[in-house]
Amino acid sequence: MNIKRDISTTTLSSFTLSAFFVLTVLSILLQNIPQKLFSAGDSLLKLNSDQGVANAVTTVVVYFRGFDTLGEIAVLFIASFGIGLMLTSQTHGDKNKVKSNFMLQLGARLLFPIIILFGVYVMTFGHLSVGGGFQGGVIIASAVLLMFVSSNHFHLSHRVVEVLETFAGISYVMIGLIGLIVVDSFLGNFLPHNISQLGLLLSGGIVPIIYIIIGIKVGSEMSLIVQNMLQRSDND
Amino acid sequence: MIGLILLGTFIAVIVIAFVAITQPKLPDAIILSMGVGLAAVVLFVLFQAPDVALTEAVIGTGIGSLIYLMALKHLGEQK
Repeated sequence: MNIKRDISTTTLSSFTLSAFFVLTVLSILLQNIPQKLFSAGDSLLKLNSDQGVANAVTTVVVYFRGFDTLGEIAVLFIASFGIGLMLTSQTHGDKNKVKSNFMLQLGARLLFPIIILFGVYVMTFGHLSVGGGFQGGVIIASAVLLMFVSSNHFHLSHRVVEVLETFAGISYVMIGLIGLIVVDSFLGNFLPHNISQLGLLLSGGIVPIIYIIIGIKVGSEMSLIVQNMLQRSDND
Repeated sequence: MIGLILLGTFIAVIVIAFVAITQPKLPDAIILSMGVGLAAVVLFVLFQAPDVALTEAVIGTGIGSLIYLMALKHLGEQK
């Protein structure tokens, strides 16, 4: 590839200039960095026991960085919305529709509840063991994908998914606002979260509730993405 | 022993990633990027980050690559 023909000289030189600028600023910043910045994570992890959550990663994701997680959920919603919007504007029929094998259909139908159960387990035990809402939601969406691949007649009710998604989004913000009123901080932990209940299923106050809400929202959005991607072509 | 596994996985990640970006066909590259994700799962488990490993296994290897494949199918229909 001839670089000189494909990329203009101004672009190359401005890129080099900006890269040099970024490197200079970074080197100045890294030399004068305050020593306290490096221990930010440690001081947060020391506060972990206040929330009574066994999994420290969950405390960081849902409690200390709960607002960031709300933003991530919003980003996922916009991605799902964009995929739906982009794929509705195209109309083309599906020519190579293959009827799937009987064994595939039966196996998928057998596996479907087990995968759903595993996803719900990962979602509900996010504050005790490995996993959480994001992972559980995507596991549920992969079960939906399996059903879509194996069966031609499987269809997600748009109404149900919409209600689930709206409910999850509204209740996340509502819990945050209740925390703002009761504990004076957005997403404050207003439910009992005693350290003596560490390791129990009902522990950690609002943390497991928020993770289940995240799981519902991620699961419904990812399922909707899968449905839009796979079924749009043969619906219209 | 753990060190050997770590070194082997590191080399595997680099080799699979290189093979993936040199593939002429896009579906092959996507499948190989799933392999990169699987090797990264081993790395995350060895570095004692099971949360990140589960996320990588589910999102990076599972549904992410499948969404790539579905998008490729849509792109192919447009041509």
